[in-house]
Amino acid sequence: MSILLIGVNHKTAPVEIRERLAFTDEACANGLRHLVDGDVVREGLIVSTCNRVEILSATASDQVEFGVRRLTQFLDMSGHLPTGFLDKHLYRHTDEEAVRHLFRVASSLDSMVVGEPQVLGQVRRAYSLAVEAGTAGRVLNRLVHHTFRVAKRVRNETGIAANAVSISYMAVELGKKIFDSLKGCTVMLIGAGEMAELSARHLVNAGVSRVFIANRTEESARKMADEFGGTTIPFDQMDQFLAETDMVICSTGAPTYVLTEEQTRKALERRRNRPTCLIDISVPRNIDPKVGHVPNVFLFDIDDLESVISSNIREREREAERAELIVQSEVMQFQQTLRLMDVGPTIGALREKFQDIARTEMARQRKRLGNLTKDQEAAIESLLMSTVNKISHPIMNQMRRFYETSEPDATQAPPDPFGLEE
Amino acid sequence: MRSLLLAVLAAYLIAAIHSILAFVNKRRSLQRVAEWSMIAGFVLHTCALIADWVIDGHYPLFFLRETLSFLAWALVALYSLVLYRYRAQALGAFTMPLISVLTFIALIIGSDSTNAPAAFSATWLFPIHTTLLIFAYAAFFIVFIASVMYLLQERELKLKTFGATFHRLPSLTTVNELATTAGGVGLTLLTLGIVTGMIWSSVRSGRVWHNDPKEIFALLTWLLYFVLTLYRSTASWRGRRAAWLGVVGFALVLCTFFGARLLPGYHVFG
Repeated sequence: MSILLIGVNHKTAPVEIRERLAFTDEACANGLRHLVDGDVVREGLIVSTCNRVEILSATASDQVEFGVRRLTQFLDMSGHLPTGFLDKHLYRHTDEEAVRHLFRVASSLDSMVVGEPQVLGQVRRAYSLAVEAGTAGRVLNRLVHHTFRVAKRVRNETGIAANAVSISYMAVELGKKIFDSLKGCTVMLIGAGEMAELSARHLVNAGVSRVFIANRTEESARKMADEFGGTTIPFDQMDQFLAETDMVICSTGAPTYVLTEEQTRKALERRRNRPTCLIDISVPRNIDPKVGHVPNVFLFDIDDLESVISSNIREREREAERAELIVQSEVMQFQQTLRLMDVGPTIGALREKFQDIARTEMARQRKRLGNLTKDQEAAIESLLMSTVNKISHPIMNQMRRFYETSEPDATQAPPDPFGLEE
Repeated sequence: MRSLLLAVLAAYLIAAIHSILAFVNKRRSLQRVAEWSMIAGFVLHTCALIADWVIDGHYPLFFLRETLSFLAWALVALYSLVLYRYRAQALGAFTMPLISVLTFIALIIGSDSTNAPAAFSATWLFPIHTTLLIFAYAAFFIVFIASVMYLLQERELKLKTFGATFHRLPSLTTVNELATTAGGVGLTLLTLGIVTGMIWSSVRSGRVWHNDPKEIFALLTWLLYFVLTLYRSTASWRGRRAAWLGVVGFALVLCTFFGARLLPGYHVFG
């Protein structure tokens, strides 16, 4: 079996083309049933997101070229595009390259914003659609599960998703840098704009306990207060609440400063110099830049946030290099799995059978060994398994050769001395 | 004894290197190696100190070698507590190297052939006096490191230039709390240490105060940390100013610890 992958993404095709190719869930299921014919294309899966449309399939090894043509035709057809139109936008990967590509996509190394977490969910969704449609078979099942494992490894072992890369999330990151945990913190939103709302949502998710909302028009403030369980406060009385506030997110459309140095100093005195984090995302600025000079006050305007974000993106890119190494080693590992799978499920079953025998014998004799430490248990286990594997190795090799030299069919079954077929 | 201390040094060195690598690369696996290695070192170090005590027949905190070794041991103990309480792993990248250096110096000084004067080992007050003070010095070192971390981060946050250390240091609140707690602990230990010293001296010679440099420096140190703790608890001095005091105060601690050795006086030892 060969693995094929063709598709377009945000780097190779403009949105006008991607949107024509995009599949809805329903179209995806129908398309898969149409595409997978059991002859050339044995298994299939469609990943369709706003940044990419990709078709992954397992094809008989001797029909790779034909398979690629079929997939291309399928994309042309479903996008109602003339033949050949997609050629300069499409990438086509086979086997190792296809596996690597899928691993990179799911690990968010191929995303517009490296490390964004959504893409893994999208791949997961694509897989469950393929399972529902019955087009994910032996090979794709293995591949997709391996992919999930790779994505998890990359997430855990590198920092590609570590630092905030959006303005709204930056508030959470700065808050954590100053207050350690946002649990129990109080946030004041000055202005009820979209950006403030987004930041507030992140902050509430991070554990902020109280939200004050000060807005000139009280109606929109109330609407937001309902959403976050916050309290609306009159815009001209926000000074009173400033002393209780740990973080301020300011985004009004006001042409002047709504928060001055004087106000901040007084508030800080009343809150006994506990640190305060002020984030001003409005243009023109709404918090007097001089406020930043007050001790224990940390003021960030939109440019400050942007510059932190660009440094965070660079940090993510550095981490992405480490992720590529993980992907590389996992691709090699999967290739090996795939080679073994090609030999047939028999070898796997045989090995399991041998291991079962060893485990049963072990279980029978276990009592006699008395109490063992975990290490000793593990040593016995590995001793048994390596003995079994070493003994079974020549048998498996022979089976492998048998598979390689002859096309397995009904008339010429492989030797089956252990009654595995039963 | 030397071979045991050599093993201790090796464990601390591994811990130091892995702490620094964990600090730079932010890898949890490296941090785990550092922590286990530190624990191993600490256990061996405890054994070494006990063996010293049994073999030499006096509490292992008298000669310079013993003092440095004991100080390293106290630092490991306090750093472990900080790790447990604050999960401030970044501290290890600064503390473990110092601990390794102290152990190394203790190792090259070698063992002293002479025995401690009987007067010092006869009473239990003297070992308590020195032990309390060693732990106080270690606590002030933690205050110093936490204060430096505070100042570094405060500067970065104010100037909005987030350098390499930004994502690696614990939050401002954490280091501020750590400095406050360690300062309080250090002050308490220093007070008790000075008091036990006075009692011991009055029992021995009837005099409480000898006007020697170490005593004067100790008093100044005590005053400084007293002011620092007072200001912190009344909260009028928070953050930067308190952190600066924590840094400056440590210079005074160093004077008390080393400086007084160079001047003649009643306190002849480390």
